[in-house]
Amino acid sequence: MSDHCNSANDKLVTLHPGRRGRSRSAAQNAAESPHGDGSANGGAGDSPEYWKSPEELHNGPSLRGEFPGGLPSLDHNEQAGETTRRDFLTLMGFTATAAGLAACRAPEQKAIPLAVASDEMVPGVANYYATTCGGCASACSLVVKQRDGRPIKIEGNEASELFGGATCATGQATVLSLYDSERLRGPLWQGNPVEWHEVDEQIAAGLAAARAKQGKIVLLSSTITSPSTREIIERWRRAFPGFRHVAYDPVSATALRTASAEAFGRAVIPHYAFDRARVIVGLDADFLGTWLSPVEFARQYARGRSPERPPTLHVQFESGMSVTGSNADQRVAVAPSALGAVAVALLARIARRANEPEVAAPADPVEAAVLDQVADELWKHRGESLVVSGANDVAIQLVVHALNRLLGNIGKTFDVDRPSLQRQGDDAALAALVEEMQRGEIHTLILYGVNPVYDHADGAEFLKGLSRVALSISTADRRDETSAAVQAVCPDHHFLESWGDAEPVAGYLSLRQPTIAPLFNTRAAAESLLRWIDDRSDHYSFLRDYWKTSVLPRKHALLAFDAFWDHTLERGVLDLGPENDAPPPDAGGGDWRAAAAVLRDESQQVAGAAGAAGHDDRYELALFESVPMRDGKNANNPWLLELPDPITKVTWDNVCAIAPALATRLGLSDGDVVSLATPAGTIELPAFVQPGQHAHTLSVAVGYGRQQVGKAGNNVGANAFPFAKLVRGARRMWTHGVTLTRTGRHEKLAGTQGHSSMEGRPIVLETTRDQLGHPDEAEQLPNLWSERPQGERSWGMSIDLDTCTGCSACVVACQAENNVPVVGKDQVQRQRIMHWIRIDRYYSGSEDNPQSLHQPMMCQHCGHAPCETVCPVVATTTSSEGLNQQVYNRCIGTRYCANNCPYKVRRFNWYNYTQNSDFDYHMANPVGRLVLNPDVTVRSRGVMEKCSMCVQRIHAVKNAAVKRGEPMQDGEIKTACQQACPTDAIVFGDLNDPNSQVARRMRGERTYRVLDELGTRPNVAYLKKVRHGHTT
Amino acid sequence: MRALIVLVGLVITIIVAATGVTRLFRMGMQQGYAPAQPIAFSHKLHAGDNKVPCLYCHYGARSSRHAGIPSSSICMNCHGLLEKQTMEIERFKEAVQLDRPLVAWTKVHNLPDFVYFNHSRHVLSGVVCQSCHGPVETMQRIEQAMPLTMGWCLSCHREHAGVPTSTLERAARRFSETPKPATGLDCASCHY
Repeated sequence: MSDHCNSANDKLVTLHPGRRGRSRSAAQNAAESPHGDGSANGGAGDSPEYWKSPEELHNGPSLRGEFPGGLPSLDHNEQAGETTRRDFLTLMGFTATAAGLAACRAPEQKAIPLAVASDEMVPGVANYYATTCGGCASACSLVVKQRDGRPIKIEGNEASELFGGATCATGQATVLSLYDSERLRGPLWQGNPVEWHEVDEQIAAGLAAARAKQGKIVLLSSTITSPSTREIIERWRRAFPGFRHVAYDPVSATALRTASAEAFGRAVIPHYAFDRARVIVGLDADFLGTWLSPVEFARQYARGRSPERPPTLHVQFESGMSVTGSNADQRVAVAPSALGAVAVALLARIARRANEPEVAAPADPVEAAVLDQVADELWKHRGESLVVSGANDVAIQLVVHALNRLLGNIGKTFDVDRPSLQRQGDDAALAALVEEMQRGEIHTLILYGVNPVYDHADGAEFLKGLSRVALSISTADRRDETSAAVQAVCPDHHFLESWGDAEPVAGYLSLRQPTIAPLFNTRAAAESLLRWIDDRSDHYSFLRDYWKTSVLPRKHALLAFDAFWDHTLERGVLDLGPENDAPPPDAGGGDWRAAAAVLRDESQQVAGAAGAAGHDDRYELALFESVPMRDGKNANNPWLLELPDPITKVTWDNVCAIAPALATRLGLSDGDVVSLATPAGTIELPAFVQPGQHAHTLSVAVGYGRQQVGKAGNNVGANAFPFAKLVRGARRMWTHGVTLTRTGRHEKLAGTQGHSSMEGRPIVLETTRDQLGHPDEAEQLPNLWSERPQGERSWGMSIDLDTCTGCSACVVACQAENNVPVVGKDQVQRQRIMHWIRIDRYYSGSEDNPQSLHQPMMCQHCGHAPCETVCPVVATTTSSEGLNQQVYNRCIGTRYCANNCPYKVRRFNWYNYTQNSDFDYHMANPVGRLVLNPDVTVRSRGVMEKCSMCVQRIHAVKNAAVKRGEPMQDGEIKTACQQACPTDAIVFGDLNDPNSQVARRMRGERTYRVLDELGTRPNVAYLKKVRHGHTT
Repeated sequence: MRALIVLVGLVITIIVAATGVTRLFRMGMQQGYAPAQPIAFSHKLHAGDNKVPCLYCHYGARSSRHAGIPSSSICMNCHGLLEKQTMEIERFKEAVQLDRPLVAWTKVHNLPDFVYFNHSRHVLSGVVCQSCHGPVETMQRIEQAMPLTMGWCLSCHREHAGVPTSTLERAARRFSETPKPATGLDCASCHY
């Protein structure tokens, strides 16, 4: 079998050059001319040569064959060799008989109406409720689509000034976490299910004991953006003298807050305005992917960099390739230990230009010319530039604050008067708490939305302390690593079941309302907290009272509360405007000179130590939050587990990213399991060769390696949190002196990268600022097909590669909207992932410092679709409105269409993914299936599927138009991917309407269609990426 | 003689084959399906004799994909005021008081899987209920009057196909104030 496979593969290889030769175009021939640096090349139309993996760069596409690494489905004997011809015939005979008999009478179906009809709910009609996301502390404003009483889709709330209708991948996926069948069904006491009143009695007794003994009571929570919950905490403070609140975030911004306190007199996170910055310098801040408020920042970033506005420049200094780095105009790889030196080097240059006393800088950690250029650009755009750093290091943050001060950015792109409240954790306070717990000084510990045994640097120490706490309570929704060890588990509602509010940025409020009655016997944590201080009010009335007494007065308007409440609840968001508090006295920027000196000494020490010991085999290890998994809170969510990382394109795993040069030196390739050892512990992970990775730094995502989260998420990857130790009062997300040893094992990564290669054809195109306004003459290509009669409308889509950041919100949104199944690691390894939209990530230039480009790819809805001509049963056709339609009940599963699709966007159902215990994800259990969209067919085994351009949404808007008797408006139909996109990269509409947004955008000079030379006439067009090189 | 045998044989074969093929094509068709319901509700009495409009009870048909089976509380809108009481009406009353669904009705009109049919779209376009459901107002027990096959759907859709094919027609449509509902003939009109 395997011999046969190899020879077939060889044949493909030899055939390849010829095939490629035919598909070459003039543009592509030009593109393949050798050049050193992709960013440097000029001429119109000739894009740099792209590659998707280092393997492809070195071997070239032609050497890889059609199936790099062999046919995945033949890899191991997947239930193979057991079905004989005889079995097949037996089964077929049986099936034919059974089908014939069964077809005589359709199974009886039952219909059960509601006993009492609801005013608000008509079965089959969706309702939309404004609420606030609880996926992370960014607290984005949402509108939740609810069908027949169950929320099925998360959308952004367009009324929100901050988030403007956008969401992220995590936010999109939270609706699935609601239907996680492994959530607790009710409260637990000592691990046993009990009634609420029983657990309340136990807790009341414990708290009474604490009061009698004047014991310390601590509420350990994640960041609390809710003003009403903060009020509850105030009440606890009044009720118990020994009460204290400690907040912490697994990936914290403690240093940023501490530095702000020192520099501006307020321990806050500044609110950034990336759209007003013409020069952005990022120091290891993944603000487009995960940092602080990525949805808001991505929106601002795309707006600020629009080609219609003056040129901008974004320079990113970072160790591993992040989503932000992949979008930067210039990306400089630096070791995490050198980041401080970069900040100081920039500060020294800016101080010189600002005629400040000289700042002693260390030796330049990167090329001086780069730093000079960055400093020049920053100085040139004083007041419209921004320096941000994601490093959790007070000294670096002080230097960054000083940079922004000297550049005059405060109050312009950098706001501390209306700060962000999205991270409030204090790493040092948690460390102190753990010590107190271990000394037995804490009587009662309430854990609210946290899981420190997993995400604290030393979970075992926390666990040791926890055992010495007299009364421990957790509001976790499951028995996770921490709540398995506490006495009382009082499960909180999912946020879609809760009331609540949030204030992500000072003065911007957002309300939360339930979109479903609680599925299980859970109770809002806020209500539990009230109950335990003898306040019997329920969460809703408390929230309403709080808004009546505390929020309405802040509005400074004469309003009847009921009307104000109803209006705000419907809108979801409220802008209270800036507070009129007197600004705190200017703290003079804090002692940034001392901070700079600390950083200088430290970088010299690290460099000196490395030099003196001659340790070439000791590496630095950078930890980061990955887009799919973030801090690991949603680790049991199959949508997120199967979401390819935007950079590595690996699913179901975290990997150890390693620079190509280092990998070559150590003889490592993708999937070789390596062991990373530091004094803090050892983890084993598969290696992944990551272009652009700093030469001597390894990068590992946190958020993986959960032990107790659920069937889907347990033991996926390895936990890297233990490496994040406390340094200068903040958790440092990197460490040094790491040794790397190979274990000799090899794991096949479930990557989606290799199987959609561009095969050297011009699929992604880019241009430069300078070339805009000088469009190429489009070559009129001959077409073999006769023109198709055009219908009333022609649906089309325009995707702007310039604003697409690769954040992958669209991928999850599409999965939620279209009931796309999760197939699991094994099937992804066989290249059978089902996503209807994927984001291809291409590199160009050198592999040490490549430029990257993200391209969303889905069915291109060709006017002359190659899939249609090969379907023997006419299961796929073009509609009168230009949609390529797939009819599931016609499809007999020949898969000819997928073979003939040049875009490789068709997905085949190899199995039944619903109600199948072999695919034990949400669709295998009745709770998880509640998330399915009733307006989209759940496909069964043996049929082909692909992007339908959300045809159900088109129908919904058409129906609404008929109902109100008015024509549809342009922009009324939004596909799921378009709705989720934070940067408005995707626009959908009617191409026959010359004034529609999509038609106007398609007339632009940047428009091109992928593989247009094949004559497929796609209805999806792309806008070329624009490279910004300088700001003049 | 021999020719006659062959001829008769041929005719018999053709008849058998034709019947078989027709039967095959009717496989899964439910025309005439009239299952017994857990409550002997008479459409003849309500919609026929008492002339209750269809959309009074099946109000979902105006706004939703589903026409919907009325809730017990809808029944009580009238039966709460009417004097005549039967055992079955008592059961409805109790269901409303307890807010518990009363019965599981047996669905009569089942479309094949993979088909989306939108009631509101048809009702708002002026298609009368009887076009698809037959003379419901005369039925004691509801029965499937029409074949509900794709060919049957398309026969009506073809007749009313208003999809403009020329530029002129398209332009005319664009300038018309109210969109005239055009029947779709695209696969994705119903299959998605």
